[in-house]
Amino acid sequence: MSSKIASPNMHSAAWRISLWATLAFACGTMLVFVFLHNFVADDIQRRSDAWLSGEVEVLGDVAERTPKDALYDRVVGEVAELAGKEVPNKLPSESTSNDSVFFLQTGDDGSLKLWVGAGNGRPNLKAIQAIRIVPDHPTDLRVGGFDVPFRVASIRIDDGTNIYLGLSERDELRVLRSLRVRFFLIWLLLVLFGFGIVFFTTRRMLSHVREITEAASRIGHSDLNARVPTTERNDEVGHLARTLNRMLDRIETSIHQLHTITDSLAHDLRSPLTAIRGKLEMSLSAVDQAEQAEPIVSAIEELDRLTEFLNQSLDVAESKADALRLTRSEVDLDELLRIMIDLYEPSMSEKGLQIQLRSEDSIHIAADAALIHRMVANIFDNELKHLPAECKITMVLKEEGESIVLICEDNGPGFSEEVLPHLFERRVRGLESNGHGLGLAFIDAVARAHGGTVKAGNRPNGGARIEVMLPRTAREFAKASIAVRQGAD
Amino acid sequence: MRLLLVEDEIDIQNFLRSSLQEAGYQVEAAADGKAAERLAIDGQYDILIVDLGLPDQDGISLILRLRQLGVRAPVLILSARRSVDDRVRGLEQGGDDYLTKPFALAELLARLRNLLKRNSPPGTEATRLRVLDLELDLLRREATRSGENLQLTPQEFVLLEYLCRNAGRVVTRSMILDKVWGMRIQPDTNVVDVHIYRLRGKVDGHGQQPLIRTLRGVGYVLKDR
Repeated sequence: MSSKIASPNMHSAAWRISLWATLAFACGTMLVFVFLHNFVADDIQRRSDAWLSGEVEVLGDVAERTPKDALYDRVVGEVAELAGKEVPNKLPSESTSNDSVFFLQTGDDGSLKLWVGAGNGRPNLKAIQAIRIVPDHPTDLRVGGFDVPFRVASIRIDDGTNIYLGLSERDELRVLRSLRVRFFLIWLLLVLFGFGIVFFTTRRMLSHVREITEAASRIGHSDLNARVPTTERNDEVGHLARTLNRMLDRIETSIHQLHTITDSLAHDLRSPLTAIRGKLEMSLSAVDQAEQAEPIVSAIEELDRLTEFLNQSLDVAESKADALRLTRSEVDLDELLRIMIDLYEPSMSEKGLQIQLRSEDSIHIAADAALIHRMVANIFDNELKHLPAECKITMVLKEEGESIVLICEDNGPGFSEEVLPHLFERRVRGLESNGHGLGLAFIDAVARAHGGTVKAGNRPNGGARIEVMLPRTAREFAKASIAVRQGAD
Repeated sequence: MRLLLVEDEIDIQNFLRSSLQEAGYQVEAAADGKAAERLAIDGQYDILIVDLGLPDQDGISLILRLRQLGVRAPVLILSARRSVDDRVRGLEQGGDDYLTKPFALAELLARLRNLLKRNSPPGTEATRLRVLDLELDLLRREATRSGENLQLTPQEFVLLEYLCRNAGRVVTRSMILDKVWGMRIQPDTNVVDVHIYRLRGKVDGHGQQPLIRTLRGVGYVLKDR
């Protein structure tokens, strides 16, 4: 059974549930990460901005106080270089020159006055001049020749010069990138793992549901003794199985009651019928003259008709409750129809009717042969009784996919307008004809008992048409009911 | 032939008893399972008729019990139930037979004869059947009357063979449908009659003495006298 469940994975509810659950989980964790990432990035920037502002103020102080002599450049340069070594978040760099920090002082005419850092400082100055840097507000600065932007703070000192201190964002970005990579790997693992867990637990749970469904659908068609498999657990699925079984108990009881009622009804009517028939036959054998025999003969005939009516009514009643008992055996419908046409053909030609069968090959189904015989006899009896002379009856037997279709068409007057909407009701033809009006109701009953359907109506160009569809799956039912019983043990 | 009839409905018991006696059986009757058991142990019966709906027990269990007690005689089961139980079918395979109520007397008698025949040692199967001047060659599937070939269709031959095998006895329409066409149906049209008319046209044509007689309300009989 598990192999049967594994194949349609992509359409299963387990697959959909785990897909949606995983999607929700992945989106949720991603949102949380984005929030955390922004928080960390902001915090790092705030720290480096605080450092930059502090350092640029110290440097401005130093530059202001240092006398403007020959040593000025050296003193300020040394202080700036020292400051560059205390950079926060700094990672060890392979290059000897410090390219993560620069110090730049411009004169009051805007020319490069002092430069500490990698390169000659001209691209930095150009970039600084391109944007306006407000003192005390660190700003991003893109410099030609560098991949990552600098964070630059500035201060203006009293001698009219500007001091700029730039800190590369390289280290900050590196920290954030490694954070992202690690998170992504862990997130991927979590999502896959979560998907697996959700998928396998829901599949396990739903496979019980599927077992129950399969068992229940088989029970409907085979026998009512079988029950769906139950589990020991007290969860929803176990509850479902137990509820279904309780419901089946009730259905079995009511079907059993129906059988008891129809059986006792049949018994109560049959015993007196037997006695009456026996007495009539005995009195018939004692009678010599034909005139005296006539009423007895017609009484016996009426009695036989009544018996058949009783049989069919009970069959129809039971099939309406899906309780008609079948004794299935392998039946060749093609052969069965040929024999029955042989039986009916003389009566039909006597009445001037023609009958022909269109069937290509033998068609085997597992069916109740006696019921199928009676069903076909019913169709033919109806045609015999209601078709006017010179009409033609065509029987078609064919396979359509998993079904077998039996069509009976004639070119007679068809069903009358008043009767058409009530074809399958009992006693439609009732008193007006010789028949007892169970014809189509009985045909419908037999088809239903075999899991099939009947359509009846008029053909567009005149004449009646009855179409009986019987499923071929009957043989599988037998196997299935055994499997259910084993499963229930 | 000693026959034990187990039937609780007194009406049915009475008419069955008199009809069976008329047909030449020595009939003992019991109205319930207990009495039937007593009778079956005491007397040697050639055949039993058992109704399934007995007041004190199920007919099937009675039959099983009788089998345990060593009763070997074949059993004809009478059933008022509609669909025949699987257990009855099992018995049927064991050589017994069943009949649903209501039934025609002729059919009951025919089934009894069949059961008794089945139980007697098999004789050599005849290849020819002869009834008065009617002769059937079962191997060549040909029928002649007064030496003249009747030109029957295969279906007509089977029908005539069945009538001949039961010559002098009544066969009903449902017996014919069962034995000749292999179906237990009750058509409310004259399908069997038309086959008989056609057969009669061939067998009894040409101004000969009519052999096939219709007993209205009962069935047909092929005269053997």
